[in-house]
Amino acid sequence: MARLIEAVGFGLVTASILALAAVAVSLQVSVTNFINFAYGDFLTFGAYIAWTTAQHGVNIFLAVLLGGVATGLLGIAANVFIFRPFMRRRVRTVTLLIAGVGLSFIVQNGITLIWSTEPVRFNVTLGNSFNIGPLVFTPGDLLMIGAAVGLLALLHVMLSYTRFGKSLRATSNNIDLAQACGIDSDRVITITWFLAGLLTAVAGVGLVLQEGTLDPTTGFVELFIIFGAVILGGIGKPYGAMLGALVVGVLTEVSGMYVNSAYKTSIAFAVVIILLLFRPQGLFAGSSKTS
Amino acid sequence: MLFFFTDLLVLGCINAIMVVGLNLHYGYAGLLNFAFYMYVAIGAYIAAVTTMGSPTFPGVTYIFGWTLPWWVGLILGGLVAAAVSVVIFAFTVRRLRSDYLAIVTVSAAFIMLNVVNSFTPLFDGGTGLFNVPPITGNLSISSEGYSLVMLAVTAVILALFVWVSQRIFRSPFGRLLRGIREDEAVTTAFGHASWRPQLWIFVIGSFMAGIAGGLFVLYISAWNPGAFLPIESFFLLSSLIIGGSGNYWGAMLGAFVVIEGLAELSRYSPTFGNPADAGAIRAIVIGVALILVLRYRPEGLIPERWLRWYRVGAGNVVRRFPALRRNVP
Repeated sequence: MARLIEAVGFGLVTASILALAAVAVSLQVSVTNFINFAYGDFLTFGAYIAWTTAQHGVNIFLAVLLGGVATGLLGIAANVFIFRPFMRRRVRTVTLLIAGVGLSFIVQNGITLIWSTEPVRFNVTLGNSFNIGPLVFTPGDLLMIGAAVGLLALLHVMLSYTRFGKSLRATSNNIDLAQACGIDSDRVITITWFLAGLLTAVAGVGLVLQEGTLDPTTGFVELFIIFGAVILGGIGKPYGAMLGALVVGVLTEVSGMYVNSAYKTSIAFAVVIILLLFRPQGLFAGSSKTS
Repeated sequence: MLFFFTDLLVLGCINAIMVVGLNLHYGYAGLLNFAFYMYVAIGAYIAAVTTMGSPTFPGVTYIFGWTLPWWVGLILGGLVAAAVSVVIFAFTVRRLRSDYLAIVTVSAAFIMLNVVNSFTPLFDGGTGLFNVPPITGNLSISSEGYSLVMLAVTAVILALFVWVSQRIFRSPFGRLLRGIREDEAVTTAFGHASWRPQLWIFVIGSFMAGIAGGLFVLYISAWNPGAFLPIESFFLLSSLIIGGSGNYWGAMLGAFVVIEGLAELSRYSPTFGNPADAGAIRAIVIGVALILVLRYRPEGLIPERWLRWYRVGAGNVVRRFPALRRNVP
């Protein structure tokens, strides 16, 4: 039982990382209506930028921020040069999916060219682990959870109370109507790609700090678990994605206790598949976005 | 020099069989299968373990270990791949929209990779299978000679599968599939149960994948989890789209040019720094080509053909309502 509670603790850390990435994906899907297959590689890219700058003696927090900004700019570039031309012609979703695969090839192998396939170690020790009640955390874990909660709260405030948040929600709801109301939806979409990139990079650094190593396929593998969380929360609904991440994160860590650890990733994927098969509309139904 | 060309052609034929199979899924039926290589891997493993006899090396373990003739193993591999595809179809294709389907199939491929890698009694885990006997048996033959033999076998099978695709394309069954692909509601309104033809085409395509995998392992005589990473499925899909989906000529062009051509080009391109970079450059080139084709020539290099009676009969309708024309992949 003690181990179970401990696993829930790990699950919370995994979930907070997953939540950032899932909310990023969900935000972008909510305004653009398609799933970007290159997202995992964006995550890897952000983590590599943060790692490189940290190697050069930059403070780790600043490094994460730099990684975030770089990934945000990558997102904007992807939107302007690849996805926007397709969306202007209103092609089918399948085309956008496949274009995302092409972008994934480019980003993932670009990373390989720059940083090689050799996994790098990326560790930051901020102090010894300690107990909070029955849960065991390192300061890094707590920081991760704190960062996730803080960023998501910030995002909530932005979505609910700012003019930009309102425009974003309007664009997400009905892009043509939003444009007719004078909302510059292109600008909204561009900023959303930037925000999504920023959040993804923070999640990427969190993921890598948790696992200890980073290689060019890190994000690509994680991507499908992120998708699981996104879809579980109801696609294109950022708040749902947070809950979805919590469920997937805790479920995988807890189930990992009962099964050989070699199969841990299989468990995560199996959870994703089962959820998709039986609750494709998301756990918290209501009107799902895109269809 | 001769070996270089025959080797290239054998691998090209094997890849072409895969892409022709994938064309049945994606080109004919519009089923977006992002884990096509999974069926190739299944075919390869089954063909290997049913022909190579029981394990002889210490520490090597795998199931079956039969000594069936190579062609029986090959067909068994195709059948098992087809059987697995029925299960996958039943659970996923009918229930999920395209993007979810893509996610589920890739996740399934990751699970298979993880399980095969970790569960050694099945197919010897990460080390994989090796010393799969050649189809010439005990006949002593040089590697050049063997590649010629395999070239004959793979070319015949490729020709057979292309013929099958052509028959399907021209049959009422193929027409119905195209109808479902374009607008499922319409075909349903005409009284066709759309899952039945989709299931058939899914099974036939997966069978071809299994056969291609079996031929692959019989040719290179070894197989391990490194051979079927999920990226391989994406390469196949890219080559199909660049070549022209819905058209078996396009599929073959994609297989030979995109997969084989680029693989060889990158092998001889000047390497700066790490030789492993060649693979990365190849993938970047494929990615750029894929996006450019989707953007400027979405029907691919060799587009799907419109049969004559389309132009005579339905052609007028198509001309008047260009939206009916399938202009995006």
